[in-house]
Amino acid sequence: MLSDVIAALATPAGRSALALIRVSGEGAHTVAGTVLSPFQREPPRMARRTRAINPQTKELLDEVLYTVFAAPASYTGQDLVEIGVHGGLLAPAEVLGALFAAGARQALPGEFTRRALLNGKVDLLQAEATADLIDASAPAQRRAAINQLDRGLSQRIDALRDRVLALEALVSYEIDFPEEDSGPVPPERIGAALDELRAALELILRTAGEGERLRDGALCVIAGIPNAGKSSLFNALLGVDRAIVTEIAGTTRDAIEAPATCGGFPFRLIDTAGLTQSGDQVERLGVEVSRRYLAAADVVLYCAEAGREMDDEERRFLETVAAPLVIVRTKIDRTGERRWDRQREVGVSALTGEGLAELREELARVAFTRLSCSADVEPVVTRERHRVALSRALEEVNAFGVARERGLEGAVAATHLRAAVTALEDVIGLVTTDDVLDSVFSTFCIGK
Amino acid sequence: MRLVRLGVFAARLGVYPPCILSFKSMSYDVIVIGAGHAGSEAATAAARLGGRVLLLTSNLETIGQMSCNPAIGGIAKGTVAREVDAFGGVMGRATDRATIQFRMLNRSKGPAVWAPRAQCDRALYRRAVRRELERHPSVEFFQGTAAALLLQGERVVGVRTTHGAEFHSGAVVLTAGTFLRGRIHVGTTTRVSGGRAGDPAAHDIAEQLEALGLTVERFKTGTPPRVDGRSVDFSRLERQDGESADYRFSHFERVPRPEQRPCWITWAGAEVKEIVRRNLHESALYGGEIAGRGPRYCPSVEDKIVKFPDAERHQVFLEPEGLDTAELYVNGLSTSLPAEVQLEFLHAVPGLEGARMTRAGYAIEYDYYPPQQLTPWLEVKALEFLFFAGQINGTTGYEEAAGQGVVAGINAVRRVRGDEPLVLGRDAGYIGVLIDDLVTKGVDEPYRLFTSRSEFRLMLRQDNALKRLGPLASELGMLLPDEERELERRLAAERDLVELARRTVVSVAQVNGYLESIGERAIPEPQRVAELARRPKVSLRTLLTAAECVPPELCDDVWRSAEIEIKYAGYLEREREAARRLAELAGFELPADLPYGTLRSLSTEARQKLERVRPESLAQAARIPGVSQSDLQNLVLEVVKLRRAVA
Repeated sequence: MLSDVIAALATPAGRSALALIRVSGEGAHTVAGTVLSPFQREPPRMARRTRAINPQTKELLDEVLYTVFAAPASYTGQDLVEIGVHGGLLAPAEVLGALFAAGARQALPGEFTRRALLNGKVDLLQAEATADLIDASAPAQRRAAINQLDRGLSQRIDALRDRVLALEALVSYEIDFPEEDSGPVPPERIGAALDELRAALELILRTAGEGERLRDGALCVIAGIPNAGKSSLFNALLGVDRAIVTEIAGTTRDAIEAPATCGGFPFRLIDTAGLTQSGDQVERLGVEVSRRYLAAADVVLYCAEAGREMDDEERRFLETVAAPLVIVRTKIDRTGERRWDRQREVGVSALTGEGLAELREELARVAFTRLSCSADVEPVVTRERHRVALSRALEEVNAFGVARERGLEGAVAATHLRAAVTALEDVIGLVTTDDVLDSVFSTFCIGK
Repeated sequence: MRLVRLGVFAARLGVYPPCILSFKSMSYDVIVIGAGHAGSEAATAAARLGGRVLLLTSNLETIGQMSCNPAIGGIAKGTVAREVDAFGGVMGRATDRATIQFRMLNRSKGPAVWAPRAQCDRALYRRAVRRELERHPSVEFFQGTAAALLLQGERVVGVRTTHGAEFHSGAVVLTAGTFLRGRIHVGTTTRVSGGRAGDPAAHDIAEQLEALGLTVERFKTGTPPRVDGRSVDFSRLERQDGESADYRFSHFERVPRPEQRPCWITWAGAEVKEIVRRNLHESALYGGEIAGRGPRYCPSVEDKIVKFPDAERHQVFLEPEGLDTAELYVNGLSTSLPAEVQLEFLHAVPGLEGARMTRAGYAIEYDYYPPQQLTPWLEVKALEFLFFAGQINGTTGYEEAAGQGVVAGINAVRRVRGDEPLVLGRDAGYIGVLIDDLVTKGVDEPYRLFTSRSEFRLMLRQDNALKRLGPLASELGMLLPDEERELERRLAAERDLVELARRTVVSVAQVNGYLESIGERAIPEPQRVAELARRPKVSLRTLLTAAECVPPELCDDVWRSAEIEIKYAGYLEREREAARRLAELAGFELPADLPYGTLRSLSTEARQKLERVRPESLAQAARIPGVSQSDLQNLVLEVVKLRRAVA
């Protein structure tokens, strides 16, 4: 099943100038050679022009460019052919149909990358990064994915694994070589190695919050009393009218979510119903939704009209917000009030666009504090799977420390270090199970 | 025959190729060539299974000879000696009869890694091994050097000696130690053929095995000089007495200990370093005379000084050779320098200024067969009914050899009878770890066991060897009636003790004084002994004594094993869980005839390694260096595909 010839469109279906079809597997060259005429295998990795024909009717389907890759020097590690066809709905479908008639089968979601993984061309983290790269909508997401594809995160985790093994080696030395010249390992040396390891694990785990935000988009909840201009701001940040804006307070009854890019970072903007005790049941439900979003928010953008003092109720509400807060003074075109340089307050006019650029920068700075400081995105933990495994490794390493303090013997304490190694290997995929693989691959779309 | 399962993965049964010959015409079931530590265990195990055994050795006077240091046991090795004993083996009993100093290593590090080690009187040890072998009526002895294996096709059917005597057998176990094309080096000019100082090497059989297509490589090892104790100034040495602990390696026999002797500690300092460095070009090791690789963990004095130039001094242990001799073994100064240089540096060691050297140290290089050529039951894949055990498989150490001897002896008999082979799991014992490492990963230096080699360090202890392996030995039919009773008694005693600890409650008054005295938190109300004994520093025996219900007549092993089971229950459960996961992988068997070379989904490296090792299961495949996770995934798919094609 892993070596048969598969084919799929690697670019999105629909109107476009060009589209790319990939064919991979044992016999991919033969299958492609049945459809492409003339077709030559040698030399590989060189784009050549040819014609795609229907092998049965000999009907001309398209003028195409094709590139031949020979195993194992290809994306999948198998024989592979990439065919650049004209875009649109018809040409790619016809050429694909001809390839299926010639013996290829439709690739399953993520199957090309799965083959690359199984042929050792990429590790699990790289396979995930490929998915991330394709899904990336914000520049920082792309940088992080490319970094991971480059084995940035894998190398960091490899290095952590080596550290755990080195620490275990110290403990093992004590057990296995009790009569050596150099004597026992000083406890300080084990303590220092343990501290360093713990710090390194914590460091990489600290990137997890922003890393996962980077992949999924930071949840930015726009809050404020009714008619504070939340929906206008929402639309202005998106650049399109998604929310209905009226002068009637309480127009937005439900939360609306839309993706946006601010300062190069991905956000999920949530426009919420105003926070009042309303008698209207539908709106009350909306308010309930708002509270739930507020609890999950990575950043809360609180709207208050410029020139209006906040009342006690608003202040009380602001005190309950756990997430980092950005206060926006809206409608500055009306008050004539210009910039607000009070801390964490930004003056914005959704109407004129004034202050929007500053607000975007501020959002990026608050939600991605660490990442927005470094020019290049360092390897970060971008998935819950990574975070869970790394936390497990940290827990085990901490448990090792506790066991030592409690005076447990080295051999017993060391079992924690072995468990930490296993946890780290789970991230890189050295000892991955099919379940993990399946969940990784279920997020792929066809033809990657 | 059904075998007991200990834990979940203690013993597994594989499938032999079909038997071609009937064994009516054979005079022996098993011929064991060599009577060292592997050979004597192989012969004993085969005899205990009821096999007719011929023990063929070049010199009947050196049965059970300790060729290197006069000690048995140590880290992991002590546990192996006890595992061998659980199979009714020779090593533990012989050690008890020969112990002239005993120490429990790692005593400060907690009972899970305690390692018993005994200095032995070489002569007493030899005598005890011979005595043990002669206890089995079905073991016959013959002095002679094996010259050739008798073959029928690819099957081994007997042995011919250098004097032309032929012996026929169902199976042959070869335990040749360092004798195959052994070459002894002292300095760069003295190079003599020999399997051990004073004994000739064996060439014919080595040449035959190579001609038959077995891959052969060379290893080296060394031994230190020995000195006349009458010429040693003991007043300048630190005396190291053994422990008075009444410890025995054997589970089944309790012999009185011989008279005890001390060891002596001194050190080699700057002057020794200077002498060695100045004469380095005359060392066989450094003069380029020896090509084979030596053990990193047992370095020669040349190695120590070249590789660790910053170390100021190196410890030297003077170990007694025996009760009826003053000769001392100079442990720590193994060397292949010329004899006169050895004497010179010995005189630079405090206490040895006037020492007379009785024997010079030497290096020996010898043939070994990379052990991936063996099945996990130690049969040579290319030559049926031929088994290898001991140093010819690339290991070092008496205990490692003995452990392999047991497994080879058992399987030689089972093979001849057409029974399924016995494969010891990694969680069953260090012997299982050792053999799995050998046949799966091979060796790139002489292989020695450490606790770090095992992923089940807490489960594989010296105190529970009988509990782990005794039931298997019993099921195999290796134990004598009184040994069976002892096994039953001990298993029941430990069960009862754990149960007693669970049932017994200690009062505040009974234990708080004790807890205070060891710096432990007092208890506010009565507590169960099993609960309280979970604290690291608290002793189970003291608690039960305080509660006034100590069971009488329990041996130390039972106390220790029960206490560890209580104290580290959670940790042990984790290891057992890991063992279960391993068993799952091991349950996925790989066909013996899998055409790895044609499996294109595997990496080239994996294809070559798998072709060479031919693992029995996915678990074994996973432990081969160079076989990646993706190779394993593909392997599963290929096997599933093949199974479908067959069905």
